Amino acid sequence: MEAYLSFAKGPLFRLSLAVLILGLARIFLLDIFAAWQAWRRAGDKTIPWKLVISRGLEWLFPVKRIFNNRPLYSVFSILFHIGLLVVPIFLYAHVRLWENALGFGWPTLPYEVAYWLTVSTIVFAVLLLLGRLLSPRSSFLSRKQDYLWPLLLLVPFVTGFICAHTAVAPATYQFFMLVHILAAELIFILIPFSKIAHCVLMPLSQMICTLAWKFPPETDDAVCTTLNKKGAPV
Amino acid sequence: MDRVQKFKTILWSIVGLATAVGITRFIFGLGVTTNLTDATPWGLWIGFDVMGGVALAAGGFVLTAIFYIFKREEFKPLVRPAVLTAFLGYLAVVGGLMFDLGLPWNIWHMIIYWNPHSPLFEVGWCVMLYTTVLLLEFSPVPLEEFSRYAKIRNFLMKFRFPLVMLGIMLSTLHQSSLGSLFLIMPYKLPPLWYTPILPVQFFISAVALGLMMVSFESLFSHWLYRRKSEGHLIEKLGKIAIWVLGIYLIVKLGDIIIRGQFGQIFAGTRESNLFIIELLISAIIPLAILLTPQLRSQSKWQWISSFMVVFGMVFNRINVGGLTMLSTTGDSYIPSWTEVFISLGVVSAAALAFLFAIERFNIWEARPRDPQADPYTKPIFDGVSHVWLGNPSVAARTRYSLAFVVFFAIGFALMPGDRIYSRGVNQDVALPARGGQVLFIDGNRDNYGVAFDHQGHINRNNGDSSCVLCHHMNMPKDKNSRCSDCHDRMYLASDIFGHDWHAAPNGAKIKCNNCHQPGMQRNKESAKQCRDCHLDLVVPGSTIAFEHTMAPSYVDAMHIACVQCHKRMLPAVADKPMLDKCVTCHHPVPEESITSLPDSRWQPAHGNRVVLPGIMIEEGK
Repeated sequence: MEAYLSFAKGPLFRLSLAVLILGLARIFLLDIFAAWQAWRRAGDKTIPWKLVISRGLEWLFPVKRIFNNRPLYSVFSILFHIGLLVVPIFLYAHVRLWENALGFGWPTLPYEVAYWLTVSTIVFAVLLLLGRLLSPRSSFLSRKQDYLWPLLLLVPFVTGFICAHTAVAPATYQFFMLVHILAAELIFILIPFSKIAHCVLMPLSQMICTLAWKFPPETDDAVCTTLNKKGAPV
Repeated sequence: MDRVQKFKTILWSIVGLATAVGITRFIFGLGVTTNLTDATPWGLWIGFDVMGGVALAAGGFVLTAIFYIFKREEFKPLVRPAVLTAFLGYLAVVGGLMFDLGLPWNIWHMIIYWNPHSPLFEVGWCVMLYTTVLLLEFSPVPLEEFSRYAKIRNFLMKFRFPLVMLGIMLSTLHQSSLGSLFLIMPYKLPPLWYTPILPVQFFISAVALGLMMVSFESLFSHWLYRRKSEGHLIEKLGKIAIWVLGIYLIVKLGDIIIRGQFGQIFAGTRESNLFIIELLISAIIPLAILLTPQLRSQSKWQWISSFMVVFGMVFNRINVGGLTMLSTTGDSYIPSWTEVFISLGVVSAAALAFLFAIERFNIWEARPRDPQADPYTKPIFDGVSHVWLGNPSVAARTRYSLAFVVFFAIGFALMPGDRIYSRGVNQDVALPARGGQVLFIDGNRDNYGVAFDHQGHINRNNGDSSCVLCHHMNMPKDKNSRCSDCHDRMYLASDIFGHDWHAAPNGAKIKCNNCHQPGMQRNKESAKQCRDCHLDLVVPGSTIAFEHTMAPSYVDAMHIACVQCHKRMLPAVADKPMLDKCVTCHHPVPEESITSLPDSRWQPAHGNRVVLPGIMIEEGK
C-alpha cells in the first residue's frame, strides 16, 4: 500500500498537475488565438468591450442572476462552488504539503470552517445532482458528463473527510487516502478536456460570443459556394 | 500533408518531454539530469550536440562556397536550405551548450575576459560571429515577406559577398579548432584518433559531412512534403563528395601509417572495433556507393550513402569527444535518458523551426501546398469526442499542443523524484574510523586514509592517562566519544549545540527559562554554560580548548590535533626527524600489512585501493 501511495503522491501527482496547468493554459491560449483569427477576418471589427467586460464580471460573480431562474438551484450552485474551491486550496493539510514542496505556504482555514465547508460541499453536490435528475427541463439538457462530474467530485471530499475526521485503522486510512489522491488526480487530468475547463474559459466566453457574430466580409458568398448555390440570393 | 503532420506531432512530443527535462536541469542542476562525472565531464551533450552539431551545420559554408566562389550556378536551389540548416544548427549548438555549461549565465565572459591561448576561446568567438553572419545571411529570406522592410533587405543584399566570405573564413577557423581542443589530451585520446593533424581531419570531414547533410536534408524534406526529389543535384553533390571523402581517407590512413599505429586498427580492442566501424560507415562504404555510377543516381542509394556519412561523421565526433576516452579513464558512462531527450529535443526544435521556415518563406523555389489557403476544405472532427476542430490549421495546432502538453507531463512525472527532493548538496558526513589497535582514519570512505596506530600512541604516551590528549570531550552519557561524533562533517564546521533541539517538544523539551535567566534578554550571555548541566562534557585535564559551539570539520580536527602534537614532540624524538611532515601519516601502506594486523576488524569498502599517499616516499628516507 505504501508503494502505491508513494507512486500516487510522486510521479502520478506530477503528471496530473502538469496536465492540469499546461492543459488549461493550452485551451486558454488556443481560444485566444482562434478569437484573434476570427477578429482578423471579421468584416466589422468593433467589439463592445464595456459590455463584454461587465457581462463577463456579472457571470463570474453571479449574485445579480440568482433570482432570474430557479433561485434555489442557483444558491446551491454558488455555495457548492465556494466549498469546491476554498477547501482544497486552503485546507491546512494541503497547504503543509505545498509548503514542503515549494518552500512557502499561505493562510489556512480554521478546523471548524474546513469541517463545515466540506460537509456543505458534499450536501450541495448531492442536492445539485438531485435537482438535475428530478427536473425534466435540466435532465433534457444534460449530457453524461453532467451526471458523472458531481459524483467524481464527491469522491475526494468524502474520502478526505473520512481521513481527517474519523478514527480508522491505519490500513483503512491508507486505503481511503489512496482513493482520495487517485480521484483528485483523475479530476486534474480530466479538467482541461471536459466542461470543467470553464474555470479558465469563463472570462473569455462573452468575448467569444460577441466575436462569433462578426462574420468575414464575403461570408454570404462563401456559404452559397459551399452549398453549391452560387449566385443565389442570400 | 498527413505525413508532415504526423512527423510534426512526433517532434512536438519530443520537444514537450525535453522541456520538462530542461526545466528540471536548470532548477536542480546537472547532477539530477546527467550521468556525467569528474572523469567524464564531456558526455553526449558535447559529443553530439556541440561537436556533432557544428559539423552537421557545415553544409552552409560548403554550399555557399560552391555557389558563390566556384560559381556552380546549378546548385542554387540547395543554397537557401543549406544556409537555413546551418543557421538553425548553430542556434541548436548554442542552445545545447547552455544545458551542458555548469554556469551558463557566464557564457558572455569570453567576450570580455580574453584567453587567446585557448582553442575554446577561438571556437567560442567563431561560433558567436558565425551565428551572427548566418543570421545576416539568412534574414533577407524572411524579410522578403514584408515589403516595409525592403530597405533593410536591400542593404543586407549589398553585403552578401563579404558575408559569405566571412562565413567561410570563420567556419574554416572553428571547424578545425574544435579538433585543436583535443591536442592537449595526448594521453587521454587513444592513438588511433590522437594526431597532431586532428584539426585538418576535422575540417576535411566537416566538408564531407556538410555536402552529405545537405543531400540528406533535401531528400528527407522532399519525401516529407511528397515532392519530387532533387536527384540530379544530389548526384552532383555526391561526385564532389567522392573527392572530399577520398582525401579524408588518404589523410586519415596515411597519418596513422606515418605515426606507426596501423597495427592498432586490427588489435581487436574496443577502440579498434569502434575505429573500424566508424571508418566503414563514415567513409569507406559511402565512397564505394558513390564511386558506382549506377548506384549514385538511384534515390535509394542516395539516401543510404548520405545517411551513412552523416551518421558516421557524427559518430567520429562522439568518439573523439569522449567515447574513446572512457577506456583511458576507466570510467563507465552511459548517457541517462534525460540527456538523450535533451539532445533529441534540441534537434526536434531545430527541425520544427526548419519546417516552419519552409512553409512560410521562399526557401524552395515553390512553397509546399498549404491546405489553409483553400477556404472550402472540409472541417476536421476529433476522433474521440467528435468535437469540431475547425479548419486543418486549427486542427493541427490543437494536436501539436496536445502532444506537447501530454509529453511534458510524462517527462515531468518521470523525473527521478528522489533526486529532485534530495538536498542537492553533498552533506559530506564524516564516518568513524575503523579498526582496533590500528585505526584506519578515512572519514569520507574514499579509501585514501591514514593508518593510525592507536595502541602504539597509548603505549608511547603513558597508557590510560593519555586518552585526554585527544578525547577532549564526551557526548552526553558517553565516555571517550569518537572524533566523528562531533566533527561529523568532512570539510565544514558543524554545530554541536542544537539550540532548537533543546527547546523543541520532540527534542529535549526544556523551557527557555531553564537556561536563560528570566527577565533578561535571551542571548548567549544570559544563558547557562553547557557544562552547568552536562557535568561530564569536558574531560578534566584536556588541553584542546572548547571555545564555542561550532566544531571544526573532521579534516581540520584531525590535522589540528595530530600536527600540533607532532610538532611539539619533534625536539623530543631524535630518531624521527620527519615526525611533523605530511608523509609520516600519509604514506603508502600495503593492503596486506593492514589486513594482517592483529586486531583488524575492518575490510576495504571496495576493490583493493587501500591507501594512496599524497606524496610518495621511499621507506627509510
